[in-house]
Amino acid sequence: MKTSVNSASFAVAKKSRVPLAEIDVRGAEAAQQLGRILPASTGRSLRASTFNSAL
Amino acid sequence: MTGPLVPFREIVLKVHSRCDLACDHCYIYESADQSWRTRPKTISDEAIHQTALRLAEHAGTHALPSVSVILHGGEPLLAGPARLRRVCEELTEAVGPVAELDLRIHTNGLQLSPRYLDLFDEFNVRVGISLDGDQAANDRHRRFADGRTSHPLVLRAVDLLRQDRYAHLNLGLLCTIDVENDPLAVYDALLDLDPPRIDFLLPHATWDEPPHRPSGSPTAYADWILAVYDRWQDQGRPVPVRLFESVLSTLNGGPSLTESLGLAPTDLVVVETDGTLEQVDSLKTAYEGAAATGFDVFHHAFDEVAAHPGVRARQLGLAGVSETCRACPVVRSCGGGLYTHRYRDGSFDHESVYCTDLEALVRGIETRTPAALPASDNGELADAQQELTRTLLARLQADLAGRGGERWDEAWALALLVDERSDEGLDGVLGHPYARSWLLGCLDALREGRPPELDTLGSCVAAAAVRGGLEMAVPVTYTDGMLHLPTLGTLRIAGPGTSGRAELLVAGKEFSVAGTGTDWQPLRRIGCDGAPDLALDDLDPYRDSFGAPPHARLGTAEAEEWSRRFAGVWGRLRQELPAVAEEAEAWLTTVTPLAAGEPAAGRHGPGALGIAADVLTVEGLARGVRRARLRALVEVTDLYAQDGAWLYTAGWAAGPVTVSELLAGVHERAVLGAYSVEIRQALQLLDRAPELTVSGKSLVADLWKEWGAASRLTEKRP
Repeated sequence: MKTSVNSASFAVAKKSRVPLAEIDVRGAEAAQQLGRILPASTGRSLRASTFNSAL
Repeated sequence: MTGPLVPFREIVLKVHSRCDLACDHCYIYESADQSWRTRPKTISDEAIHQTALRLAEHAGTHALPSVSVILHGGEPLLAGPARLRRVCEELTEAVGPVAELDLRIHTNGLQLSPRYLDLFDEFNVRVGISLDGDQAANDRHRRFADGRTSHPLVLRAVDLLRQDRYAHLNLGLLCTIDVENDPLAVYDALLDLDPPRIDFLLPHATWDEPPHRPSGSPTAYADWILAVYDRWQDQGRPVPVRLFESVLSTLNGGPSLTESLGLAPTDLVVVETDGTLEQVDSLKTAYEGAAATGFDVFHHAFDEVAAHPGVRARQLGLAGVSETCRACPVVRSCGGGLYTHRYRDGSFDHESVYCTDLEALVRGIETRTPAALPASDNGELADAQQELTRTLLARLQADLAGRGGERWDEAWALALLVDERSDEGLDGVLGHPYARSWLLGCLDALREGRPPELDTLGSCVAAAAVRGGLEMAVPVTYTDGMLHLPTLGTLRIAGPGTSGRAELLVAGKEFSVAGTGTDWQPLRRIGCDGAPDLALDDLDPYRDSFGAPPHARLGTAEAEEWSRRFAGVWGRLRQELPAVAEEAEAWLTTVTPLAAGEPAAGRHGPGALGIAADVLTVEGLARGVRRARLRALVEVTDLYAQDGAWLYTAGWAAGPVTVSELLAGVHERAVLGAYSVEIRQALQLLDRAPELTVSGKSLVADLWKEWGAASRLTEKRP
């Protein structure tokens, strides 16, 4: 038995979207994105040097 | 002093205590502390060896992923290639197996030659060079003892470092500001050298030894820096400038990128040429012995220095700045300034001697920075949210790391296929608010060691294939006899209590599952005049994401009655609060009836509103859509940072509230016009809230306008 559906829109596809397989989930941009909705990672993180005294 | 010990991630290693220049602004030789006179000129083998051991021990104890060692002086190149090789070898051998070793050297460049750079290439030691700008600017301070210029020799060093064979070692230029120099000439001269980064430094000063202000202007340094900022901005930011990037980062809710700004705890310790452990170098500007700790690498672990009261005082964040600073709206960006610059009459409990400059600088950059508040009426918010959900799905695949099992792998491969073949299909399903709830639940489960509900991906792919009109077969899993296709409906496949696998065949906008009947419960819509065309989702198994229980599937008559009532109230919302209704209609897609409770926004994607029949009123709807809108904004942009660091009084709350609670309260109430005085007071508090980012301030500006409009409307009503 075939079922027919009327599918209303929940999102308009972005023309410039990154294909699912190519999304960089470990990059800085993704980290910032995900950091807003996922609990903070307790893992070890790299931190850039902040020292700046001239000689 | 409370709080956990902050481990050191940066070690400044003094490899030579003398210098071949005689800069009159040098904080080592020209300031209050003259301890350099008693130090050995060159670091000893024992001090090198023991420093390496202590650092490896410290990195291991604290599981530090990386540590930076900055070779410093005096002038570190005066230590000579052999001594520097010894330093690099010992550090690499001891620290390399424990943590990533980031080796750097800060030099005046005079001695720099291929002999040094080949050594640095071997150990990946990156090189920062001090240069104060064009020749006139550089000659103002950076001269030899006999008065000769150092400028040509520094340029020669920079040229050498820019050669292809050494360019990967180039860290950039450090420029100490003198406001008597022409800021644009200085910047242009530095930019001409094509550095990978420029850092501008305020000359060290204290309230006892204030900075040079020839014009008398209290914002002379801010004006100088902002002149450079404007040129940099006009040029399209051709080079990273750490000072600017740091302020832009904190203004947008991120961390400070330099020790001289921001509230981040200090994580730096200095090892002198004799193995003595000292606090940050610039303290020498304050008074004789200011940087001393009484510890050394031969007798003490780095942890002992990390617990030293002087070090701890610079690790307290907001609690470590003066009372004046704690109440200042820009403190999150300036952090009270460099600790050294706060010194006055034997105490550091003051604002910075550069306070007026820092405030003008932060506010100056803030006014030049556009807000990144995505608009809901032009699709920006929806785009950002859709990208976020896609990233969550990709993150789930990455976190599973091949351990999702055959069913997941099969569904993932089909998801990629649908994503590639249909513009609308997968995004149409991922755009449904409860797809986000499912993904967040899976990631939670993985993190907590529970089994994630991975079979739902097959259902999503099946629904996406139907939506995209793709002809394909999709394996799906049914539970309790039911298969839910997100955004479409629920199909009964088998009797209650039965679970299993089936194959869903898609052809055009139709689908079938072998052996099943017609027990199809479609997702209904609110198809009544007066309301936008929204899904009435009382089916999705992940709709239980509001913090209040969802209503069970409504019967046909019940759903019609619910829809009529919703449409009636929405029609009144359009009349009474037209701006709220219009704004919500741009993004609202789904309404889920709740069994009871307040109108809610929960752990779902954008577009959903959960509301119970007993609060289905104009005010209830308005509050619900405003809560959902704020949540959607907070999920894709940083409106504030350090939530909870300050507390506020709100007229509607029994106790103190954080900035996020204050903002949420105002956002919900500003449009209603019924809380006029309370909202005005709260908006005034938000105007001075240090937590707010540029985007947060932009939202507050919008709220002032909405409050003004709502208040005027209320006054007109009888």
